[in-house]
Amino acid sequence: MLLALSTFVTHFAVAQKATENEAQKEPVRQSAKESHKEYAEMKIAECSECHKGEGVSPNHDADWVRGHRTVADNPGSNCSQCHQQSFCLDCHSGGGIDPDLSTRNYQRDYVPRSHRTDFIMIHPIKALDNPQTCKRCHEPSYCNQCHSRYPKGSLHIKSHLMLGPNGQKYTAGLQEHATEARRNLQSCQTCHPDGDACIQCHSSGKTNPHPRNWGRIKDNYKDRAGSRVCTKCHLPGTY
Amino acid sequence: MGTKWVPRLLLSLFLLVPATAWSIEIHGRSSTQLEWFNNDFNDQRQVEIGQYLRFSLTDIDKEGKLSFFGYGRFNQDLNNGEGFNARLYYLYGEYRNLFDKVDIRLGRQFVNYAAGTAIIDGGQVGLKNIGPVAFSAAFGRNVIFDLDGEGGHGGDLALALSAYLYGFRSTDLEISWFRKWDQWDVARDTIGATFKQNLFNNLKLYGNTRFDLTAETFSEVLGGVKYFPMSNLVLTGEYYQSYPTFDATSFYSVFAVDLYQEAVFRADYTINEMISLNAGYTSQWFGEGGRGHIYHIGCSLRPIEPLLINLEYDNNQGYNGKTNGFLADVYYDVTKTLQLAGGMGYDVYTRDVVLSDGTARLFWLGGKYRLAKNMTASLRIEDNSNERYHNDVQGRFVFNYDF
Repeated sequence: MLLALSTFVTHFAVAQKATENEAQKEPVRQSAKESHKEYAEMKIAECSECHKGEGVSPNHDADWVRGHRTVADNPGSNCSQCHQQSFCLDCHSGGGIDPDLSTRNYQRDYVPRSHRTDFIMIHPIKALDNPQTCKRCHEPSYCNQCHSRYPKGSLHIKSHLMLGPNGQKYTAGLQEHATEARRNLQSCQTCHPDGDACIQCHSSGKTNPHPRNWGRIKDNYKDRAGSRVCTKCHLPGTY
Repeated sequence: MGTKWVPRLLLSLFLLVPATAWSIEIHGRSSTQLEWFNNDFNDQRQVEIGQYLRFSLTDIDKEGKLSFFGYGRFNQDLNNGEGFNARLYYLYGEYRNLFDKVDIRLGRQFVNYAAGTAIIDGGQVGLKNIGPVAFSAAFGRNVIFDLDGEGGHGGDLALALSAYLYGFRSTDLEISWFRKWDQWDVARDTIGATFKQNLFNNLKLYGNTRFDLTAETFSEVLGGVKYFPMSNLVLTGEYYQSYPTFDATSFYSVFAVDLYQEAVFRADYTINEMISLNAGYTSQWFGEGGRGHIYHIGCSLRPIEPLLINLEYDNNQGYNGKTNGFLADVYYDVTKTLQLAGGMGYDVYTRDVVLSDGTARLFWLGGKYRLAKNMTASLRIEDNSNERYHNDVQGRFVFNYDF
């Protein structure tokens, strides 16, 4: 009985494979694309030669971090032949199980190279860049949580007049607000998540904040989100 | 009838086991980390010990179709009262090739479609090998990671449906629909598409778009071309535009916004095994005449086999601020088991015309030692000198065990 049991245990094999990325199993049937599972450890230059020979664009080059989105967001992509989900989430969600020595931490989270040196001070400039960049990794609530912990006085917003080192006040006379807000409304949301400051000037009967096609699309918002947003500015039955 | 047949029957069952047993494979990594840093929120030094675990269980069934995967971490603050923190990135079971056509995945997982991306507590089903088109669907609770834990509320859900070309060597095409709920109200309703076509052995056309059904506008459009006349030269030209649409449950969803546009030109050239270069220029249009320009150059040098040097310089001339700086990293493989590394970064930035320029410098040193084929230990120490701190030293010690 003991001999039989030990035979069973030896079949419960625990592989001692010491690789950093364990690739997932391949589907039984191959598509017309070449399986890349065997090439996970290959040098990029060798990959590029084969790609060129097959008429497929080389990738995983210096532009890959910027350009991988168009490949990765296709469910039929072959990313999973070499990468587990942890590879994506380490960059997009602050994980750090496979960090390079050059990868930095922001407190307990790992941050991508795009965060450069002092991102606390640089990110206001980057946040006014491509409006979609931050949301590849961060929900608006992430920004709210951080901003709510700091005094809002030192944020150097053009339409907000400085009142000493830790205070500021919106001033319509500076005439920067409309342009600033239209170019990057997400930035406003980080300090005014519920838009209570905006209602003072943009509620019903005051300055119209809606886009030109509002008459055509407003029912889309009512159908999906009900009156949740509308009643912030309009009385029920008036919209 | 006696009972002597019972142990004989059991014994014979055990003898049968070796003939029918299969081997479950368990792989993974355990990463134990000690981190020390300055907590920006209370300006106190903080020391945390963290444990990461990633695992995969495969070959659970005889045909090898059933697998389990998981990845998570937990951290314990040792001195600053922040307490315990945990994050589960994914934990799911997967059954592949049911009837050679269906893949099923249940549990917490990352789903990625042209129309939207989410981490969900739910399921994903894929249907393939039924012709030139395959299908995928995913539905579950939308998991949102906040600053310190999980955010979100009850009624935060995500649903995605996708159809994509399957089995085409040079052509990728995917069309998908993504809907996100925020406390049971529909927050996002998006149709997305992604496309890629390789042509003439040296050209790739690609594109990606999202159409917001609520705002009835294209929230993102990307079109690009890559020209690769040689295997070591890639020239890229891209056009991108976006309207920053908001969740329908957000107050800001009703506001008018400007269109953002950018054009990117890049060259990536690998001269030989020792040198590769890259350069790029991005031209930005922010609406109402706002303009921006981003310049980038970089190189990777390997003068001798064990030594790798990465350098990059970025100059961002935005409409409301500028940044200008470089990052440099050096890696040296002293032996097959020991790697030393170091680097620095320097940025000069301008927030507005009122303030003077700010500077930020960082220096770091590190080393990684392979204790055994499946064990490594690494140490990284970094010092930051910037507008907030004259010296801000932080670091981490990591011990990895692969199994």
